[in-house]
Amino acid sequence: MKIKDGFILREVADSYLVVAVGEAVKQFNGVINLNETGAFLWKLLEKGCDEKGLKDALLAEYDVDEATAAADIKAFVEKLKEADLII
Amino acid sequence: MPRYKIADIVFETNHIYAYTPALCKNYLYDGDAPSEFSVEITRDDIAAERGKEGAEGFPDAYLESLALFRKLCEYALKEREGIIFHSSALAVDGKAYLFTAPSGTGKSTHSRLWREMLGDKVVMINDDKPIVRFVDGDFYVYGTPWNGKHRLDTNCRVKIAAICEIKRGEKNSIEKITPREMLPVVLNQTLRPGEVAEMDKYLSIVDRLLKSVGLYRLHCNISREAAELSYGVMSKGDNNEN
Repeated sequence: MKIKDGFILREVADSYLVVAVGEAVKQFNGVINLNETGAFLWKLLEKGCDEKGLKDALLAEYDVDEATAAADIKAFVEKLKEADLII
Repeated sequence: MPRYKIADIVFETNHIYAYTPALCKNYLYDGDAPSEFSVEITRDDIAAERGKEGAEGFPDAYLESLALFRKLCEYALKEREGIIFHSSALAVDGKAYLFTAPSGTGKSTHSRLWREMLGDKVVMINDDKPIVRFVDGDFYVYGTPWNGKHRLDTNCRVKIAAICEIKRGEKNSIEKITPREMLPVVLNQTLRPGEVAEMDKYLSIVDRLLKSVGLYRLHCNISREAAELSYGVMSKGDNNEN
């Protein structure tokens, strides 16, 4: 899985924002707020990463059990798919 | 071609209709500084404005002036750390305050309450679309001719003391808010660019702006008491500590 071209994550005023640039503006003209974990996962997905890779990284970075990590990742990836931000 | 100086940017432009030069007459420039850029507004530019949301029913002459404003703002962002900030901006005692909110909330109304209370002490910088620029380490708000339906603007710049989000309320209350709380308001009331280089410049300006001026949220009705409250708190506020 990989974040689509044209969607960028930036840290502004203590917040993580995703905005569209270039051609992607035609698809999405809003602003998405991510929390810290969301931003962490997003950065992995920018480079391309599967759910197992996300889970391993999350378990290494955060104090979280495996079931919770898997559930959080599934929910996050679902949201990205719904918003058509991921291929 | 006529030359203008808006937001301390000298430029020259043509016009097809008489509206733009009439609108911008207080910003004509006949000084010695060279033009920073020259822009020709074409029929295609006007057609592009007509295609934007909310442009229905406006005459071409007005859309021509909007096309110029768009090009000025693009230049300001690219080269002069400037953004357009949808707000009613005024100054009292050399300090500028920006009231911001979606259209129809009551920005201009609240500015009017300040004028009724403070009279000539209030300088209306721009009632609708001022330009905000980062200059030598500080943020300034500049008057522009695109000044809203009450036609209120002054060709000047004033250092920004505070930005205040206006919300309607039955009772009046004001609170300091954090950059993070103000961020969505600012993102909605400024013009976001479409390309990545400009987006990074824009977000960097927004980030610094929110960390360097006072930030408030005002719930208010239309009364003198509302203006007394917001002026009383914001004019005393230690506006550089968020």
